[in-house]
Amino acid sequence: MSTTAAPTMQGAYKEGFHDDIKTLHKVPKGASHKVIDYMCDVKGEPDWMRKFRHRSLDLFLKQDLPPWMPGLRDEIDYDSITYYMSPVDKPARRWEDVPEEIRRTYDKLGIAKEEQKLLGGLGAQIDSEMAYHNIQDSLSKQGVVFLSCDDGLKEYPEIFQEHFAKVIPPEDNKFAALNSAFWSGGSFVYIPKGVKCDIPLSVYFRINAEQFGQFERTLIICEDDTFCHYVEGCSAPVYTTNSLHSAVVEIYVKKRGRCRYTTIQNWSTDVYNLVTKRSLVDAHGVMEWVDGNLGSKRTVKYPSCYMIGEGAHGEILSLASADKGMWQDAGAKLVFFAPNCTGRINSKSISGHGGRASYRGLVQVRPGADNCRVQVNCDALILDDVSRSDTYPVMEIDGDLATVEHEASVSNVSEEQLFYLMSRGVRKEEAVSMIVNGFIEPIVKELPMEFAVEINRLINLQMEGSVG
Amino acid sequence: MNNTAWELYERLPLPTRRDVDWQRFDLRRLKLDKIQDRPQSLKVHLSPAPNSGVIFCDLPTALAKHGDLVRQHLGRSIPIDEPRKFAALHNALWQTGAFLYVPRGVRVPSPLEINYDLQGAAGYPHTLIVIEPGAETTVVQKFTGGLPAGSNGNISLHASGTEVFVKEGGHLHYISYQNFAENVFDFTLKRAHVARDAEIDWVIGMFGAAFQRYDIECVMDGEGGMSYMYGVGFLEHNQQFAQFTRQHHRTGNTTSDLLFKNVLRDSAVSNYAGVIKVEKNANGTNAYQANRNLVLSEKVKCDTKPILEIESNQLRCTHGATVGRLEDQHIFYLRSRGLTENQAREVLLEAFLEPVLARIKVPDVYKEFSELIHHKVAR
Repeated sequence: MSTTAAPTMQGAYKEGFHDDIKTLHKVPKGASHKVIDYMCDVKGEPDWMRKFRHRSLDLFLKQDLPPWMPGLRDEIDYDSITYYMSPVDKPARRWEDVPEEIRRTYDKLGIAKEEQKLLGGLGAQIDSEMAYHNIQDSLSKQGVVFLSCDDGLKEYPEIFQEHFAKVIPPEDNKFAALNSAFWSGGSFVYIPKGVKCDIPLSVYFRINAEQFGQFERTLIICEDDTFCHYVEGCSAPVYTTNSLHSAVVEIYVKKRGRCRYTTIQNWSTDVYNLVTKRSLVDAHGVMEWVDGNLGSKRTVKYPSCYMIGEGAHGEILSLASADKGMWQDAGAKLVFFAPNCTGRINSKSISGHGGRASYRGLVQVRPGADNCRVQVNCDALILDDVSRSDTYPVMEIDGDLATVEHEASVSNVSEEQLFYLMSRGVRKEEAVSMIVNGFIEPIVKELPMEFAVEINRLINLQMEGSVG
Repeated sequence: MNNTAWELYERLPLPTRRDVDWQRFDLRRLKLDKIQDRPQSLKVHLSPAPNSGVIFCDLPTALAKHGDLVRQHLGRSIPIDEPRKFAALHNALWQTGAFLYVPRGVRVPSPLEINYDLQGAAGYPHTLIVIEPGAETTVVQKFTGGLPAGSNGNISLHASGTEVFVKEGGHLHYISYQNFAENVFDFTLKRAHVARDAEIDWVIGMFGAAFQRYDIECVMDGEGGMSYMYGVGFLEHNQQFAQFTRQHHRTGNTTSDLLFKNVLRDSAVSNYAGVIKVEKNANGTNAYQANRNLVLSEKVKCDTKPILEIESNQLRCTHGATVGRLEDQHIFYLRSRGLTENQAREVLLEAFLEPVLARIKVPDVYKEFSELIHHKVAR
């Protein structure tokens, strides 16, 4: 076991340790068809999945990156990455059955057994595979399925095949293709008709290996009149080399269903986090993404809602904090295919110590999507003059029956606000911290308690020494 | 013909629908082969030059008579290697245009008019405006003419460039509008450099043409500089407008404000994209940007992309964009006051555009704008 402390912000990154964990499976570096065959054999996958993976790899190798994604082609050495590596074969159902060294890692991260009391289900992924995946009896009795995605394929092959890669096909983008080729782990969630799953289902993703690519895949199906809250967190050790995390999350919210998906992304600054997240929202369904991005070297992630049924509602709350060495290219997409839908995007970003925070958004109203209403708010705070903030919203409206509003502002912590707080006896550093915490409050208050506390802690750490 | 620019023009590819900025537009109607052989026919008409050292004449005359003065500024804002297809075309082929020089401290009391009337197949006017320190003037620039609807499907091509320098403490009120005939494709680049404590107040009207691509940019070069950019567009039938604006803050303690308002009806297509760029160490920047669109038909396509790129922290930047329609409630209210439905719509449309028109400080031009708009609204 070794713990590396890096300067500045990384000194505060308490998840930056790495543990020596014995690997059971490991493939040679590089994205190749051989790796896919090895994975399919190990996982015992059906033929259609093997074909799907091979086709996806071809697409990945062929596809180009969009011009607004500068650098990603040359920065990442795709040949130096290990695409499948796992210390375990299949997820344990009991915490005691998880290998001790992995359990130790999770204990350090605070994903302890006790937390299960607050959760309806807990999953823990390390590198390529889920080490642990369990759900409370009360939920499974109601028919709620919460499995690793691989087990979902094995145990519910029909539901799985019907929904898998339909929201995000491998053709969608280069990284969706990459994930489709090498996906492993992630969750499969099925909420049967009428079931309200009130306690959150939670998953924690951990990269432990070096120069590794984690490609978890999550498929959530909320049938009619359901509710589900899914919470994910993630972290990785601090290395000097880069790792890649490229997830695909597909969500179905069927009629009058509601799904909330909360992410607290706290990768170390070695990790490229290139994620595609999308949900299809049917009539009167509600989809809420709460997306917190605090770590990683570069994040490219725009959670999307495609409103396909009348009266659907999509909401995205996005919080990005770009510290030294980070570029948070976060945002949101709302696409309206059906009439009388509503949508809201609320984005807050902070950049400091040379970090760059970008909001990239799309609001698209397709023909026939009459009487849709959309509101977009983006606020950015820049803490010093070596940092950068961008806003790239796109609004494409067909027809006259939509109301679309976008507003954004970028500012620094104002002298007046500081002066007011300081006149009340608050130290300058504390005052800045209070202002920043107030700035992000509308999003933080939507987070589960433990996460909210964690975010405030992280933001305060980033604030330290940020006032000149 | 300028060969450097022509080579650049030939090298740059014609934008296609695969380019993000052009995806709504189809330029295939524009036949660009042998474009250099198209006869240029452009009538330039200028109002009389005032005394007190102001130079105001067509560009060839200016080059002949005040060569050094012209060459000091020409191409300093829109360089010969401006990397855009139609700016390169303009740079390669322009033959005429206008030159305005207002010497230090001179205040020109009445507005100066520049009228460009396109007579046939092509025109590439170049305008150079230099406002020396402390000088003050109002310029009204009009673009008209071109082939009308029908014309056997032939089109007129118009590619213009306007370079503006407002030096220390200078002030320019710049009103420019195009009301071309139906078969005109218009590509226009306007760029203003605003020096220390200088100010430019723009009002841009976009009314005619089959297609227009406007690039309007202000470069804030000196502290205390201000740019107020206002635009109004009225799109009907199959008109397609692309409006690109850029507020470039190179220096701190500068202010830029922008409001572009468009009304779209029938099958019109518009794409607004505006960038506020604040460079490093441009602290004390205030930059605002708003794009408001009113759509009146379900066949309309309306895109808006307000973009911020910020590398300083002591600043305040906001932008807003909306796409909406006339509110039933508002119409209902006016009807309850005795207006007919049509009258109510007219009142609301004109009220929507009024904040831009109100920026026009020349009563005659204000009247021209209002009448043009009223005529369209009441169609």
